[in-house]
Amino acid sequence: MNLNTFYLAVAGLILAPLVGGLVAGVDRVVTARLQSRMGPPLMQPFYDVGKLMSKVIAPASHWQGMFVRWALVASLASDVMLAAGADVLMCFFVQAASASFVALGAFCGNSPYSKLGAQRELFQLLAYEPVFMVGILCMAKAAGAFDAYSFMAAQGPLLFKMPLIVPGLLFVVLVKLRKSPFDIAASHHMHQEVVRGVYTDYAGRDFALLEIAHWADVTVVLWICSFLWATSPLTMVVTAGLFLFAALVIDNISARLTWRTMLGRVAPITLILATANLVWLYLE
Amino acid sequence: MFGSFLKTSQVKSPWLMHFDCGSCNGCDIETLACLTPVYDVERFGIINVGNPRHADVLVVTGTVNKRNAVILKNIYDQMPSPKLVIAIGACGCSGGVFREAPNVLGGVDKVIPVDVYVPGCPAKPEAIMDAVVTGLGKLKGILEAS
Repeated sequence: MNLNTFYLAVAGLILAPLVGGLVAGVDRVVTARLQSRMGPPLMQPFYDVGKLMSKVIAPASHWQGMFVRWALVASLASDVMLAAGADVLMCFFVQAASASFVALGAFCGNSPYSKLGAQRELFQLLAYEPVFMVGILCMAKAAGAFDAYSFMAAQGPLLFKMPLIVPGLLFVVLVKLRKSPFDIAASHHMHQEVVRGVYTDYAGRDFALLEIAHWADVTVVLWICSFLWATSPLTMVVTAGLFLFAALVIDNISARLTWRTMLGRVAPITLILATANLVWLYLE
Repeated sequence: MFGSFLKTSQVKSPWLMHFDCGSCNGCDIETLACLTPVYDVERFGIINVGNPRHADVLVVTGTVNKRNAVILKNIYDQMPSPKLVIAIGACGCSGGVFREAPNVLGGVDKVIPVDVYVPGCPAKPEAIMDAVVTGLGKLKGILEAS
């Protein structure tokens, strides 16, 4: 590892969660504007996490603290790997481990909502992980390697070689941002149905750390989506922004689906489309 | 610097939990009206949450009676410190017209400590928002003193 890679890894460690926090702030402001409201300040997610950090509350289970820290480490590790130009598929597996730790921590709690949310979190993992993996395989096939720098150095936009993975990636973004119609594991707005689902039993500092892990996850997912048009840093930011905006619009015009619909219809359809694209790339 | 950011954050991010203790729904409607685009309390970072473990401000409407006093106390105990309690409406403040009823204990302060009282039957959304801001001012004073 040369010194440049080290600096990029450190930048990924520090900047990725901050970018994720800003994305959360933009999300809340844009959502408010779409609903004819003024909305909170852009920095509101940072205030929320700062507030949660200073709260005094006993954890629902002693195991939860450990799982939260593991989830945070795994999420930040996936950011660092992506920034350092490591294998994108490995980065994806590390991020999946983070989501599993969140679910395991929720299973340790006492609340039935927490346990129900944890089960739904696992269903979500089952639904989006294959689609996401096939999407990354498509990018790797087109770029000729699995490392992030090769994806960014690909000749021309990858989008034109893999239009069929776009619905799948949008599905992943909706799930990771916890947006309707796929905010099944943890209701994003107003604590409905399962209260906060997988997050119900997390509180205080643990919840704050989990929020930072979530920001890191969102950054990774949007970053991978931006590889679709990685001809310059600006086009990458615009691509990620378009995915985010599409997710916000869909969130505001749709109601929550059930996990059965997600697992039985949305996941297979997006997976078939992405696999068809992968087969096409191999036959080309 | 980090400490002062944490203190500022506590005032700028009040997550609110609404508990209907036995209200006629008049004050509940006015409380929920605060979340609509007309009043938009999210401007102040306020979110309505359904989980006491995530809440900072407990907004209670209606009279407290012998049945729901235990639940009110339980919700209050589950909230992490520092926390605020706001009693909404005549019933929440004192028991209102129901205060003489045999099953009624009275206002919210008979069970848990109340920081801000909002009179009215029902209380206006503007008054409820003002109560939250007043409560946050009180919290800021406590944090600065500590």
